Amino acid sequence: MTITHHPGEETLAAFAAGTLDEPRSVVVAAHVALCPQCRATVATFEQFAGTLVERALPAAPRAGALEEALAQLDEATPPAPVIRQPEPDCPGVLAPYEVGRWRWIGPGVYWRKVEVPQSEGTRVFMLRAGPGSSLPHHGHSGVEWTCVLQGAFRHDLGRYGPGDFDEADNTVEHTPFVEEGDVCICLVAMQGDLELRGWLGRLLQPFVRL
Amino acid sequence: MRYEAEPITPQKAANLVRAIATRRDREAFKDLFNFYQPRIKTMLMRGGAADEIAEDLAQETLITVWRKADSYDPGKATVSAWLFTIARNLRIDRFRKDQRAQLHHVYELMLPAESAPPDAPFDAVQRESRVRAALDSLPEEQVRVVELSFFEGNAHGDIARKLGIPLGTVKSRLRLAMARLRSFLGENS
Repeated sequence: MTITHHPGEETLAAFAAGTLDEPRSVVVAAHVALCPQCRATVATFEQFAGTLVERALPAAPRAGALEEALAQLDEATPPAPVIRQPEPDCPGVLAPYEVGRWRWIGPGVYWRKVEVPQSEGTRVFMLRAGPGSSLPHHGHSGVEWTCVLQGAFRHDLGRYGPGDFDEADNTVEHTPFVEEGDVCICLVAMQGDLELRGWLGRLLQPFVRL
Repeated sequence: MRYEAEPITPQKAANLVRAIATRRDREAFKDLFNFYQPRIKTMLMRGGAADEIAEDLAQETLITVWRKADSYDPGKATVSAWLFTIARNLRIDRFRKDQRAQLHHVYELMLPAESAPPDAPFDAVQRESRVRAALDSLPEEQVRVVELSFFEGNAHGDIARKLGIPLGTVKSRLRLAMARLRSFLGENS
């Protein structure tokens, strides 16, 4: 797998720091799981944070904090929560979440909800589009982050194959189309709505309240 | 005062965790606790946690170290980076609105199997020394912007207001800090 499009460094830093919201974190994690290079970058930012912790001025602890902790050491460890197996054709990072059924939203295009709690109007879903299909030309009212899981699509900014990460925001308008050959499956975190352009878009708009 | 514990070198910290893993060494736990608990508390408070919650989470972080000491792999992360990730995950869980799913599992699920080859061309100890060198070379003002941005989760505009500097300055400090970090870590990290 040759990955050519990665999340930006700021995105990876915020992900490592745990300050990215949950919907976007899940899509970044799907990429990181497929990308050794970004795993190493995340590990670097985690070390960066660890070194900053070492250098932090210590806060005054609560009186008796150490004794309290020592008293808890011999308590039985709570059992680790059981993580389900991910649904078929879902990436492993989605295992903690419920995933809905595939639903038809347009010619050759299906959509399924991923039950990641929304954050500021950003939600997570998977999109599946047949070879040769295309999405209507559209803009975005917020961020649209995509990790390709299978197949490939193209738009103005290049080709996005398995593992590639597309970080679009409200400045981007594009007409993605799926390459011939394989069905394309993506994991998407999207804020706001797609804003479809053109007569076909206006026709479809009421049906694609994703 | 005990919370001004002596600095712990990465090697010493790794030895303390191993002492816990191999012989449930309570003295080793005390040393780790005295050094890290108050500093993790600082980090959590900077991220917006109230004193009481930061105290609890920092304590839970160290108790997790005791429980998970045998799964610590010094080749993958130094103790400080490992503790940071434990504290981060506990904090994420604590501030979740919906308790059913758990984002912190996602951080574990994305990692390759134990047997997979390492991701980086250098190990955790080398990574730590490069990060330390990069941090030492950064002006304080750049470090502050990085902390405010990534680790405390502030938007660029909020950082500009907090520090009383123009937005462009926030962005350029972040960019310079990132470039420096990159130059110390090389292309593939």
